[in-house]
Amino acid sequence: MSVTSPAERDELNQLLMQTGRSDQKAFAELYKRTSSKLFGVCLRMLRDRSEAEEVLQETYTTVWRRAAGFDAGKASAITWLVTLSRNKAIDRLRQHREELLDDPSRLEETADERPTPAADAETSQEYRRLEHCLDELEPQQRTSVREAFFTGATYNELATRCKVPLGTMKSWIRRSLMQLRTCLDQLGVDQ
Amino acid sequence: MNTVADDGNNNLRYAEYVLGVLDADARAAVAHEIETTGEAATAVALWQRRLMPLTETIDEVVPAPYVWARIHDALQLDAPARVQPRKGLWNNLQLWHWLGIGASVVAAALVVVVSLPHLTTAPTVVNAGYMAATIQQDNGATGWTATMDLQHARMVVVPATPVAFVRGRAPELWLIPAGGKPIAVGMIALDKPTTLALDPALLAQLGPTAALAVSVEPLGGSPTGQPTGAVIAKGAISGAPDAQGAKVAAIYDRQAGRTAT
Repeated sequence: MSVTSPAERDELNQLLMQTGRSDQKAFAELYKRTSSKLFGVCLRMLRDRSEAEEVLQETYTTVWRRAAGFDAGKASAITWLVTLSRNKAIDRLRQHREELLDDPSRLEETADERPTPAADAETSQEYRRLEHCLDELEPQQRTSVREAFFTGATYNELATRCKVPLGTMKSWIRRSLMQLRTCLDQLGVDQ
Repeated sequence: MNTVADDGNNNLRYAEYVLGVLDADARAAVAHEIETTGEAATAVALWQRRLMPLTETIDEVVPAPYVWARIHDALQLDAPARVQPRKGLWNNLQLWHWLGIGASVVAAALVVVVSLPHLTTAPTVVNAGYMAATIQQDNGATGWTATMDLQHARMVVVPATPVAFVRGRAPELWLIPAGGKPIAVGMIALDKPTTLALDPALLAQLGPTAALAVSVEPLGGSPTGQPTGAVIAKGAISGAPDAQGAKVAAIYDRQAGRTAT
């Protein structure tokens, strides 16, 4: 997703649409060009290589079956793919969340992780706008939003990890989401 | 009809769905809405556009080649598996079951298998970077055979003789360098081939002086990083014995003729 030029974006859209028409070569090429990104996403959420491999496999199996439903007018191929892999990873987490609930190492590892300035230069305008809006949140709330996004934790898990009451966590996240929406809308993301 | 307040609440639920904080039931409810109502789908898509740029900062990690092979097999694709050129043979379970009869045969056969595309008149044996081990139980029966593909840094471990395990215990494979401490390779299956990725540290230790061993461990693997249960099988690692190549080529050809579809 990083450093995807408009041309690359179009190519991936094209490959996904061809996959939707059961073009196996296009599907293989799509896998070649996107699987590292998706595997990174799965690994980040699941923290376990073999689980991430299974989810990656499920993701692309679903891509093959559902690619015909992809609409380039609604989302880019890469967003569609990353979303699918995140959803599969979150579903997997929900299946056995008890085991992962109280692992104290997880919060520290994923604390506020801004990219380095060098990496920042390679990110998209959309990312930089989002980062700008995240910066306007209270530090604790910003950390919670990131933690939620990158680990797929539930409100309950987040509250436990951050040692705050569930209600506090809910209001932090909800307020943050509404603030983000307002901020992004002002910057013209939805236009 | 949605009131303004409803819209606000729904919108929040869609945002929470995309962020990933909803529990299983609430997620399922939103997923159902996305499938059935255009409004939900649009609202979720909008939140995806807002939040998904965060994934740009996630590092890419190249998945092991066998993941594509599994996808390829699960979907029964017949497209050339360009992502992993030799997938067809490596992941052919029938071939593995057949090869499970003995590691030296496995290694020899692989030498030939790899050179098969060049076969016209006589088999040409090449050193293709494979090693093998027969992991024997104390009673002499072959427990597993292991074949190491050095180029692709992976090992396939095929069970040969069923081994009984008590509930809550499973076999773990270890690499034992000559005079060194066991290094965990991974958990292996009792009833089907297991493919394991070999990291560079393990690869560096593979060789004719090293051995493989299987011990009885808790389901998640040894908690200490060293074998904690009984060692039930072991075997030395050997390079592919090329002297047997031609003989096995004949066997393989017959087998290939029989299993080809």
